[in-house]
Amino acid sequence: MSPITRRNLLRSAGIGAAGVGLGAGGYLVGRESAEAGGEGTGSVPFYGEHQAGIATRAQDRLHFAAFDLETESRSELRELMREWSLAAAEMTVGELVGDVNNLPLAPPDDTGETVGLLPSSLTVTFGFGPSLFEKPGLGLSGKRPAALKPIPPLPADELNELESGGDICVQACSEDPQVAFHAIRNLARIGRGTVTMRWSQLGFGRTSSTSRSQDTPRNLMGMKDGTANIRAEDGDAMRRFVWLGSGDAPAWMRGGTYMVTRRIRMLLEIWDRSSLEDQEHTIGRHKYSGAPLGESEEFDPLPLDAERNGSPVIPVDAHVRLASAEASGGERILRRGYSFTDGVDERLGELEAGLFFICFQRDPERQFVAIQRRLGANDALNEYIKHVGSAVFAIPPAARDGGFVGETLLS
Amino acid sequence: MTRTALRAGLTTAAIGLLAVFATACGSDEEAQAGAKTLSFTLTDAGCDPHNAEAPAGPINFEIENGGSGGVTELEVLDGETILGEKENLTEGLSGSFSLTLEEGEYTLRCNGGEEEDGTLKVTGKPRAQNSPEVGAAIAGYRDYLEKNTAELVAKTEPFVDAVLAGEIEQAKSLYAAARIPYERIEPVAESFGDLDPRIDARENDVPKSEWGGFHRIEKALWEEDTAKGVAPVAEQLLADVEELQQKAKTVDLQAAQIANGANELLSEVSASKITGEEERYSHIDLVDFEANVEGAQVAFESVEPLLSGQNPKLAKEIEADFEEVYADLKPYRRGDGFVSYTTLAPADTRKLAQSIDALAEKLSQVPAEIVA
Repeated sequence: MSPITRRNLLRSAGIGAAGVGLGAGGYLVGRESAEAGGEGTGSVPFYGEHQAGIATRAQDRLHFAAFDLETESRSELRELMREWSLAAAEMTVGELVGDVNNLPLAPPDDTGETVGLLPSSLTVTFGFGPSLFEKPGLGLSGKRPAALKPIPPLPADELNELESGGDICVQACSEDPQVAFHAIRNLARIGRGTVTMRWSQLGFGRTSSTSRSQDTPRNLMGMKDGTANIRAEDGDAMRRFVWLGSGDAPAWMRGGTYMVTRRIRMLLEIWDRSSLEDQEHTIGRHKYSGAPLGESEEFDPLPLDAERNGSPVIPVDAHVRLASAEASGGERILRRGYSFTDGVDERLGELEAGLFFICFQRDPERQFVAIQRRLGANDALNEYIKHVGSAVFAIPPAARDGGFVGETLLS
Repeated sequence: MTRTALRAGLTTAAIGLLAVFATACGSDEEAQAGAKTLSFTLTDAGCDPHNAEAPAGPINFEIENGGSGGVTELEVLDGETILGEKENLTEGLSGSFSLTLEEGEYTLRCNGGEEEDGTLKVTGKPRAQNSPEVGAAIAGYRDYLEKNTAELVAKTEPFVDAVLAGEIEQAKSLYAAARIPYERIEPVAESFGDLDPRIDARENDVPKSEWGGFHRIEKALWEEDTAKGVAPVAEQLLADVEELQQKAKTVDLQAAQIANGANELLSEVSASKITGEEERYSHIDLVDFEANVEGAQVAFESVEPLLSGQNPKLAKEIEADFEEVYADLKPYRRGDGFVSYTTLAPADTRKLAQSIDALAEKLSQVPAEIVA
């Protein structure tokens, strides 16, 4: 049976791309959207060397989920990853999930909310947490990468266990929020009985650029974030700081990377009553231009040695100074985070909002943890943030055509 | 504990300086009292002396034409911006001008001289000249600061003694009283670099091996139920609060900085007291909460006379909001202390947090008002 794309489903029903009605089953609300291939509406390949959603030009929307595995059977885990990979591949090209979508007496395999929507650059990225390797029944302890260790306690930590960790993660990114939500919802449904969702996070705006073709976005503090990020076009930097290569161990991780996520709650009420000067000195950049303090253009190099009246132009505790590659022995990470809000913090009546920080690197301890340790002790930004969730995952290489993510580990 | 206060102190110092130095105004002919005087002679070669040095602050420039036909003026420039000058000093004439300069290198220019440009090197920190109102605001806050650092030492001593004697219950009963004076003046402690982290760091704020101060002992007393092993921490704490008392005596205070300190204290309440994170073992967060508010109120009242002239409406609103915060705290008062943070429901903390947010939003406007 040839795959049914979500758009063709509408066309074959005799209505246009922007149509709204579908037979006796009621209404499936389509959406007036640009044709596939337009900005951000096309599809990103699921199969290949590296998983998508890492070097991919950062999409604007995120739905992230961490799952606990409810089985200790390796074959069940393998079957889950096979089904998940197949569904992810279908969704990324804009096809309906599964084969059973037209039997009157059966619930459709696909939950349906993306019918009529384009692929919208959906990427689905899978990862394995350290706790997965500790389940005796799976027999994976010998395959655990040395670099996959829980993130140690760090400054500014106010971690909530229920928003941290997880055996398996799924990162769904798309230009369309409903497409990202649909991916997580359908994968959770497929995994029912095998996995339980431990925590999840919606992100509504990218806070990093991962491509030179993208403008630097602003985070919820109104500051440009990630100006100095690694760009996917910089192949040398990607190989040096992100991807595990042919000489790296364990072999099953070659072509993969490690992901760290941090749910960073911003204390926006406090930030908003800080003076402009205080805000700029906290970050080390001018708020509106994004230029380093004392400079005029966003991409001007940081004048770390510049002084004015005997004091550094960029304060010693400014975030950009402490986070700079210069200050971290040249270590860098690929950041790919999202702004979030989850309504109101009921204890405070304040905005429950911030940055869902995601980064990729070859070695979390040497890169993220080292940078965060140095930042945390002195970072002026600590006044305005709390880290409330934390997780680390091994991101295996992509599935080969017809294969599944995790095949190198589980076969 | 907070980290930005150090920088906030520095930047508000800069605001203070701006107010004093922004125009580097030249007041013709009029020598300023207490100012450094620099004398120059205009010659065909240029300014004599060619280079000069002066301490930061008010400087009088006295210039005499020593017989040069071609060189008749002296300018002081910052880059290419003329800060002050005396022109048309023909042979035999003299004149003067005054500038208040901050630390840095300026250009001395005698146009038409063989070597036009020399360097004026200004060194050291200037002494801002405060108006009587500003002086009174600073003096008032300084009294409060010194009273509280003295109380901090006086209340930390018996607490530390109890810890050293292993009297856990006694130490617990003395803990809150030692915390209060510190929480009232915390932003000043934060201006001394690592003194605040040494006294007030929470677990994970600093590397494990460096963790000491009040909260390390708090954890030992309430969670580990032992004072064993924290004796060196207690001794260091006493030394640190004594050091704070000494340093506070000579700390340079400025009005905007004091007002900013009030904001810092309320940020402290919002960030860590109302969330129960500051006193996570003893749960005396509401004690700290009130101490922060008291400290913010005194800081505000110190600078209030400066604000009342500028914006009396804002001053009144802030006064009323302080009263509102105390009223909202009242139901949780028990004796001379407060209920444990753990007894608060989300509706309670929400009301308190919103009360602080409302006050802090207005208080944050004060520094810009009083240096305007």
